[in-house]
Amino acid sequence: MEQEQDIAAYRERLIQSVKDGTRRSTCGQSDAIQVFVNQRRVGLLDVAGTEAALQVQTEARIENVHLRSEDGVLLGGLSAPEYGFRTSRISLLRDAVELRVQNYAQGGSVSAVFIPAQSLWDRTRRALAGMADTSSLRPAAAVVPGMRTMAFTQVLLAIVLVGLAADRLTGWATPEKKPLPVAVTQAEAPWAAPLAEVAKLEHQLVELSRMQAKAVDTIQTQQQGMAQLQRTIAKLSSTQETVASSVLMVKQEMEQRRKVAGREVDRLTRVIMSKAQTEQEQLEAEIHSLAAANDKLSKEMYTLEQSNQDLKKRLKSAGVDVSKATVSDRDKPVVAQQGEAAQPPQVAEARPTPAQSPFLFWVTFSDGTSQESIDQWVRDMHGHKGALTEGWQAVEIQPPAEPMERFLDQIKQTKIVKAVRISR
Amino acid sequence: MTTVGSQQISQREQTMLEQTATPGRLEDVVSTAEEFDRVVSQSLPILLDRATSYTKRFLRETGQWSDDVAHEKFVLRWGAEYLEQFLVSGRSEVPCRPLFLLDALVARQHSRPEPFCYHPDLLTPLGRFIDGLVGRASISRDALIALYHHCYGWGPGQVITVLGLNGPESQRIYKNFRRWRESGWQRTMDDMGLTDVELQDLYDQQQRHRQRFNSEAERIIRFAQAHYRKSEPDHYPCLSRRQWEEMFAQGYGGEYRIWHLALCLDCLQTAWDLGFGGSGAVEKPRVVLHMKP
Repeated sequence: MEQEQDIAAYRERLIQSVKDGTRRSTCGQSDAIQVFVNQRRVGLLDVAGTEAALQVQTEARIENVHLRSEDGVLLGGLSAPEYGFRTSRISLLRDAVELRVQNYAQGGSVSAVFIPAQSLWDRTRRALAGMADTSSLRPAAAVVPGMRTMAFTQVLLAIVLVGLAADRLTGWATPEKKPLPVAVTQAEAPWAAPLAEVAKLEHQLVELSRMQAKAVDTIQTQQQGMAQLQRTIAKLSSTQETVASSVLMVKQEMEQRRKVAGREVDRLTRVIMSKAQTEQEQLEAEIHSLAAANDKLSKEMYTLEQSNQDLKKRLKSAGVDVSKATVSDRDKPVVAQQGEAAQPPQVAEARPTPAQSPFLFWVTFSDGTSQESIDQWVRDMHGHKGALTEGWQAVEIQPPAEPMERFLDQIKQTKIVKAVRISR
Repeated sequence: MTTVGSQQISQREQTMLEQTATPGRLEDVVSTAEEFDRVVSQSLPILLDRATSYTKRFLRETGQWSDDVAHEKFVLRWGAEYLEQFLVSGRSEVPCRPLFLLDALVARQHSRPEPFCYHPDLLTPLGRFIDGLVGRASISRDALIALYHHCYGWGPGQVITVLGLNGPESQRIYKNFRRWRESGWQRTMDDMGLTDVELQDLYDQQQRHRQRFNSEAERIIRFAQAHYRKSEPDHYPCLSRRQWEEMFAQGYGGEYRIWHLALCLDCLQTAWDLGFGGSGAVEKPRVVLHMKP
């Protein structure tokens, strides 16, 4: 029971403390404000009645920003957006803090600016400055006559006051003036009173002239300030114009470059296209000539086949003639019959042989290959060795039946052969 | 049996959460910061209970809960902490639904690796006292400076001497001490729910078993310091002896010295050794807990 009461009292105390909020802080206005990012202390706004600022960049994404007094009371805060920026003005008792938090794709930044409360004097000064700013928008030539008029009015006022005072003084000094119907002792009092008044007036005049001088000084200062401001504005505008013209120039140049680049690209494209077309035409011409050559070869092949057919027919007829001759001449010896009868086919079969000249090629052998191995290899090839020139051994064989490339590959695959070639 | 019990507790918890969620206005959309302030300020007890319930559930589900006053106070304290953050941050989230915004804030806190400094030893009166001091030091400069007094018995002059501070900083130290004595200490004790009886009891224990008490205090202080040092920015790590020597010799890093040395006994001893090792002007820092400011 006691424990429950203890917990309930604690709960009430916490609720009250949350309700009290920033009022719990006992810090003064000149005490620093702590800035926490993601509940980690990152810096101080050392206020001391003046504007103070704090900039923080973090590598991690920012979730929240809190402001705490030096005694740890939470004064205000801000939840950061997932992406982009958010600003908030945290009002303190009198002052304020402008918070700006921004999250990027990676990391974030916080800016805290302390804005002190303005005193009456500050407000007046700022209001005047505001007026001056407003008037500065007008041309200086329009402002100067106004100032002059004000100064002239003040001078005129001072002269009138001096005149009035002089009039009073001369009035008192005039002897013809009718004496006042009062006793001397009583008459001296009005004399004393105007003198005091004159002294007061003189004092006021002095004050007035001093103030006037001050006002003139202020006006001059303001004029100088305005002139400087105008110069700055003129400079700024000229700078702005320069920047604008630079931007324009850059734009133009970029446009020009883009055009030039476009032309260059077109030219290159045309060149490449014409080259490709030429190559295509050449290829087409080559294909055409190849087709023509193919036709020619087909015709020649056909002619050769015809010739071969003729030859076969002739051979057949020759064989018939020979058999007829054999039948008519039976008395001849068998050996002679056989020799004559066998002769024509031999001739027919051996006819291409004289056209087949020996095939000559050159090889080099692997280092350390013995002469016996070389001779054995030449024998296996059914060939015979030729001359040996600069390490290349000429070998002469019967023309190979397989295509040349395959033949050379076979030769190269031989263990003892290092290299092979078919021309000197 | 235990499982059934915890299921029952969870159901009760859920019912409580649902009951606290009933006020329609908190579930409705608020469009301006002023409206947010008005709606929320009228529902502080409900919101506190909601944040507390979530924290309790977190402790239960992570196997850290125990049914006692210390745990109840612990979750209330953190519930209030979340609620305070919700009050100041929520204004910038409008338009929003306040109830669900609070849920999101608490859930985000609990999704962190170490949402708060929890250890059974920190739930004893001594642990709560130390946790309150060191935890407060992570958000309050007054409490931070007061740590030098509560842990080592130093006054403002000794703090200034050991930390090698100059004129303006020294004035701030005096101000921190004064403000802590006037209001900071009492507020921290209240926030931790420490009663006068408990404090007196601690004082009595210290008088009876001084050495044992202080060594136990040192153990807990080291644990709490290690946790709350993380509240400092990443550029506040422990330095080597040579780096400390360079910093003190060249006189830079005033803030670093103040923050880090208050939250790191080992580095404080190193710094003391560099400046006062043989002089005896200031005693070597040893944990001798001081209850009162």
